[in-house]
Amino acid sequence: MVIRHREANMAVNLTDLSLPQLEGLKTQLDQETEFLTSSIGQLKVVQTKYVEAKDSLNVLNKNNKGKELLVPLTSSMYVPGTLNDVEHVLVDVGTGYYVEKNVEDSKAFFKRKIDFLTKQIEKIQPALQEKHAMKQAVIEVMNVKIQQLQQSQQSSQMVGTTKA
Amino acid sequence: MAEVIQKKLQAEVEKYAQMQKDVSKSLSARQKLETQLTENNIVKEELDLLDSTNTVYKLIGPVLVKQDLDEAKSTVAKRLEYINGEIQRHETLLKDMEKKSEQHRELLASLQQEFQKAQGLAVGKA
Repeated sequence: MVIRHREANMAVNLTDLSLPQLEGLKTQLDQETEFLTSSIGQLKVVQTKYVEAKDSLNVLNKNNKGKELLVPLTSSMYVPGTLNDVEHVLVDVGTGYYVEKNVEDSKAFFKRKIDFLTKQIEKIQPALQEKHAMKQAVIEVMNVKIQQLQQSQQSSQMVGTTKA
Repeated sequence: MAEVIQKKLQAEVEKYAQMQKDVSKSLSARQKLETQLTENNIVKEELDLLDSTNTVYKLIGPVLVKQDLDEAKSTVAKRLEYINGEIQRHETLLKDMEKKSEQHRELLASLQQEFQKAQGLAVGKA
């Protein structure tokens, strides 16, 4: 039922819909905006991870070669070590594959990922805005309808009391 | 008369509900495949950018195992082929099911009409 309204929504005037229909439309738009918002949130979380990974690559430079560091074996236990290789890192490219890359390539890899995510977010954002606008319009029409309903109820009550 | 039709109607409605369940199952399976397809495509793109100076490791359980780049590429290519085939299979399956549901809906509608008619007759007689 609701889907059919949605398909026709572009052509149908919102004011032609009844209150329950509007209510259904609003719930659906609510769900859609929620889904899109959470998608954007997830993309942003992943993007931050890539940004952090890219930033931490800056520590791997020639100046830091041979320096001592503490390697975390668990979250509460560290062992001392020396930074031996500042040129290569292992990057997770997905589905269980890890690739050994040099620092420059890895930076390029993360940049690609960050750009890709930015593009995805930019794709979703307009859709979200559109849904928001539609929801706002639906709510407005609903408010008008509710007011009309209340007024007509009041006036019919008035008629009732005057008769009595 | 009306009771017989009602029983039949109920059975058919149950069948229809089962069909809808199958459709949604197949739909979610297809969605999952779609996700896997995207992920594997991304991996393929990455592997295509590599050359012989890069070493590829495969995570098997908790260990990383060194793997040939060409081997990794062919594995991913095979995987993509398989996933695409599966998506196609689900697609035809879904189309088929949708057609069947459509037919079933019509059957249900006609049954419902029959039932109402029979009910009307029963009331008229009473």
